[in-house]
Amino acid sequence: MAVSDPTVTSRFHFSREMIAGPIYRKYEKAIRKMWSVEDIDFGRDALDWERITPEQRTGLLGVTVRFLAGEQAVTDELVPMLAAAHRLRRFDWTMFLSTFLMEEAKHAEFFMRWHERVVGVLDPEEVAAHFLVRGTTVDPTGRFTVRDVMYEALPDYGGRLMEATHSGTDAEVERAFVQFSAAYNAFVEGVLTMPSYEIVIDTTERWDAFPALNRGFRLILSDEGRHITFGTMACRILLEKDPSYEEAVHEVFDAYRGNIVGLVEYQKAVPDLDLDKYQNMKVRHYRNRCREMGIAPDETLIEQILDPSIDFVVGVEAG
Amino acid sequence: MAKRWTCVEAGCSWAVVTPDSESAVRAAQEHIATVHGSFELEEMIEDVLEDVDDS
Repeated sequence: MAVSDPTVTSRFHFSREMIAGPIYRKYEKAIRKMWSVEDIDFGRDALDWERITPEQRTGLLGVTVRFLAGEQAVTDELVPMLAAAHRLRRFDWTMFLSTFLMEEAKHAEFFMRWHERVVGVLDPEEVAAHFLVRGTTVDPTGRFTVRDVMYEALPDYGGRLMEATHSGTDAEVERAFVQFSAAYNAFVEGVLTMPSYEIVIDTTERWDAFPALNRGFRLILSDEGRHITFGTMACRILLEKDPSYEEAVHEVFDAYRGNIVGLVEYQKAVPDLDLDKYQNMKVRHYRNRCREMGIAPDETLIEQILDPSIDFVVGVEAG
Repeated sequence: MAKRWTCVEAGCSWAVVTPDSESAVRAAQEHIATVHGSFELEEMIEDVLEDVDDS
């Protein structure tokens, strides 16, 4: 056998170790679990929309419009992670992220189609009127600041990751990757949004309505399980290289603490939901994300999430 | 290798040991649904399973 030329060898990225690894297996699962928005029938949801009360419409639309915007934002903000995976020479991460980006675009498509075919709104000015603005929320005790994690943290940490990818050392890229992933996968997708998915599913089942919305949320959640655990696993891999990155994760959660300890607006927008359930599950998801990353949870944050005296609602109606 | 999964819901520390990952996922999802009225995604269970010596 001829001796390999390293410049030629470097053009090939697959290895037996890589394709047996956990990230490549997530890529394979994403390919196996592919679904299409066009296979979902929105007809019954359109009839349900006509029969629910104006109050129910306002409550539900407050949630779905936020998801419509959120899925577009996460689609738009993923590129720094792809660039960093390339820079860190992790081809299995790049392959998985190709499915991740396509799936986020598909989730945005699902919400676009649901709003178009069920509610009859699509253009930005039509949907913006129903958007819940989080930045204007005030904690009456003055202890917590609520910031807009989706539109502030993701572009901010993403910008830092792009900068490190272009001109930083490998260690700077890794640290910036951990912070971006902590914000995107662990905080936004993995803790903050999880109760919101469940609130919509609980609402559709309680009302015995909107089967397409229920189906879409369940399909989206099955994708999100891979996205979230990709991010936390990538963090774990990098934390095993340098345990000092743990502090970078806690910095992110601390910066947006107010968003997690407050109640999500949907918890009060839809009547009759068990509010404690969603605070308890936030704790479970936070502990799980820490467990997946291999870091110790911030016990003070857990106490604050469960503190019944901290009950301000994150989000007020636009306009 | 047997697998252990531990629930981390607030106020719960229920744990289960099963012969493999698939049965751990089923047991964890049943626990979360019946005890906490919620759900847990497959990957979130698989990625935190601990190996237990079953010899």
